[in-house]
Amino acid sequence: MSHPPSVTYASGAIVRLIGSDLMTEPTTAALLRRLAPVSDGAHSTILDERQLALLAAVAARLVPQTERTAAIDLVGSFHRRLVEGTGVGWRYAELPAAAVMHRTGLAALNASAAAAFGSEFVELQAAQQDELLRTVQSGKTWPVAWRGIDPAMWFEELLATLVDIFYAHPLAQDDIGFAGMADAHGWPDVGLGAREVYEPEPVPGEQLGA
Amino acid sequence: MTAMHALDEMVDAVVIGTGAGGAPLLSRLAEAGLKVVALEAGRHWQPQQDFATDEEEQNKLFWMDERLSAGANPIEFGKNNSGIGVGGSTLHYTAYVPRPQPDDFKLHREFGVGADWPIGYDDLAPYYDELELFLGVSGPQSYPWGPSRPPYPLSPLPLNAAAQLMDRACAKLGIATSPAPNAALSAPYFHPAYGRRQACTNRGFCQAGCSTGAKASMDVTYIPRALARGAELRPSCFVTELPLGRSGKISGVVYVRDGQREVQRCRHVFLCAGAIETPRLLLINEIANSSKQVGKNFMAHTGLQIWGTFDEMTRPYKGIPGGLISEETHRPPDADFAGGYLLQSIGVMPLTYAGQVARGRGLWGDALLRHMRNYNQVAGINILGDCLPHEDNELLLSDECDGRGLPKPLVRFTAQDNELRMTAHADRLMRQIWGAAGAEDVWAYQRFAHTIGTARMGDDPGTSVVDADGRAHDVANLTICDNSVFPSALAANPALTIMALALRTADRFLARAAQGDA
Repeated sequence: MSHPPSVTYASGAIVRLIGSDLMTEPTTAALLRRLAPVSDGAHSTILDERQLALLAAVAARLVPQTERTAAIDLVGSFHRRLVEGTGVGWRYAELPAAAVMHRTGLAALNASAAAAFGSEFVELQAAQQDELLRTVQSGKTWPVAWRGIDPAMWFEELLATLVDIFYAHPLAQDDIGFAGMADAHGWPDVGLGAREVYEPEPVPGEQLGA
Repeated sequence: MTAMHALDEMVDAVVIGTGAGGAPLLSRLAEAGLKVVALEAGRHWQPQQDFATDEEEQNKLFWMDERLSAGANPIEFGKNNSGIGVGGSTLHYTAYVPRPQPDDFKLHREFGVGADWPIGYDDLAPYYDELELFLGVSGPQSYPWGPSRPPYPLSPLPLNAAAQLMDRACAKLGIATSPAPNAALSAPYFHPAYGRRQACTNRGFCQAGCSTGAKASMDVTYIPRALARGAELRPSCFVTELPLGRSGKISGVVYVRDGQREVQRCRHVFLCAGAIETPRLLLINEIANSSKQVGKNFMAHTGLQIWGTFDEMTRPYKGIPGGLISEETHRPPDADFAGGYLLQSIGVMPLTYAGQVARGRGLWGDALLRHMRNYNQVAGINILGDCLPHEDNELLLSDECDGRGLPKPLVRFTAQDNELRMTAHADRLMRQIWGAAGAEDVWAYQRFAHTIGTARMGDDPGTSVVDADGRAHDVANLTICDNSVFPSALAANPALTIMALALRTADRFLARAAQGDA
């Protein structure tokens, strides 16, 4: 199966739409809230400092951020969801509730790092971290205390949550050239290749290869 | 206009839920002059002010009370298939409204598997006709499949990129297609019952709430009509109890509003809360279940999606998501399964797509970011196929409680042999189609769509929960009207059939009442 080359978009085209007359008020308000700094989940004890540092290291491998998206606070948003109990309306019956699941999963990941490489996850080289994460994703892992949690299911939940936070952010939507939030006037032409002037085009010559 | 009934006033009917089941029924009863009160768990939104074109913001339209998913194919709830708010699931349906075909209702007679409906296509056909006019369905003048039928009242919506790609590829392969019937307006539409609605702006956001009123959700069609005819609507009311009086009838409906417990006295109860909350409420209250069929035979449509990346720009966020249809696979000649499926082109919003890439394909790191940078060149097709009822697929009460202290629902679902064979057939065909369309990096997302079954209708009180008119076999003044009463899944999206059942259920009830037998 061939893979098309990955394209890139010039920075800022989407963010400039926010607050313009191309966007309705409810959409503008929602995106401005998203751009605001994540209020810290204040006084919560779901994850401690050490677990948050571990989560940050994992997030950096699963959803690596560039300078362009660095302002997206993955860990802050993730933690706030745990503190506020924000879910997606369902969970695998085999897994415990989110807070217990992620505390247990992160602890088991660290224990796996120790079993495989003799160090904590945050101390490992990126390639070692990736190897460890691939193993957890595959569901085959070291005999450490997962306390009844299926490693592959936990990995899926962790990844899906981080991805959900990342691509909900206007900076990540800017990165992929999504202009659907320009909703004030509708789309008169919707066929292949149809484009309004405010819909970004890929930057010519900046294909990354697959 | 809107009436206000006292709690101790004996109203004629309480309708629980305001989606595709509750809203048309509420309207019909109010039109007949009955005193009716609708209880809705969610809020009454004002779409133009309240709906953003932002997926995360619109999570408020989905039922987010946690449901537990088990079995070999655990069902995703939340944004996949649930709705809350006045309008229920129609707030987030894509408005795709093909009719089932007559043979869908008698799968057992044709194949010896599944279950037949106690009613048939002919019982619902007049209601399909009525609904398509009332909602303002856009579609072809002449629909290529199924029995002859009137032309759709509005011409089709424009084909977006995914629809054009599917059209192009199917033409090459000799597979007939048609612009799909969609309950969104291709031109401004006026109906005396609800006034004027504007044409669709091709915003592509049907699944997360229409802000313009072009999509025929219940909040802009049957609800305004019901209110104009004197129905009372109570949003933000969560029903918890259906107590039986000494007569064996439900004496009133107990619900929680603003943290307060209230009881509305009533003569009749219409339970229209959908195939999860309806059986959950019955199980919690231990009523209407002498057949032990409440919660059984949970079904979900086979909904395999095939995605591909194209050289051309698709910008898949634009246009009605399901622009094109083919029912050439309704009874495929080379099928090794019972029943059939329809084919559909699909648009997609970025957060939904990214979530599927993460869960379904397991991409992360640079591979994920690279794939997502091609979002504007992605297009998809999927199927909507029948699902057979099976004893292992069921809804139960878990031993875990929600914030209200009520047991969370647990749903076990395992796709059985028939679903697996159908999905494999569709996988081959759709890869062929997407190959002919020029797709690269083709991948499949295994999805099961809609929640169906759990309180099936039937003539035998020993094997069904309600009769052909939706009346509970066990409780004289309880009627159920939503997707939970479906004995089989049907190879068509359920909303139109739920609405047709709602109108029929109301008419049957009113006819009996006129004869003094309600």
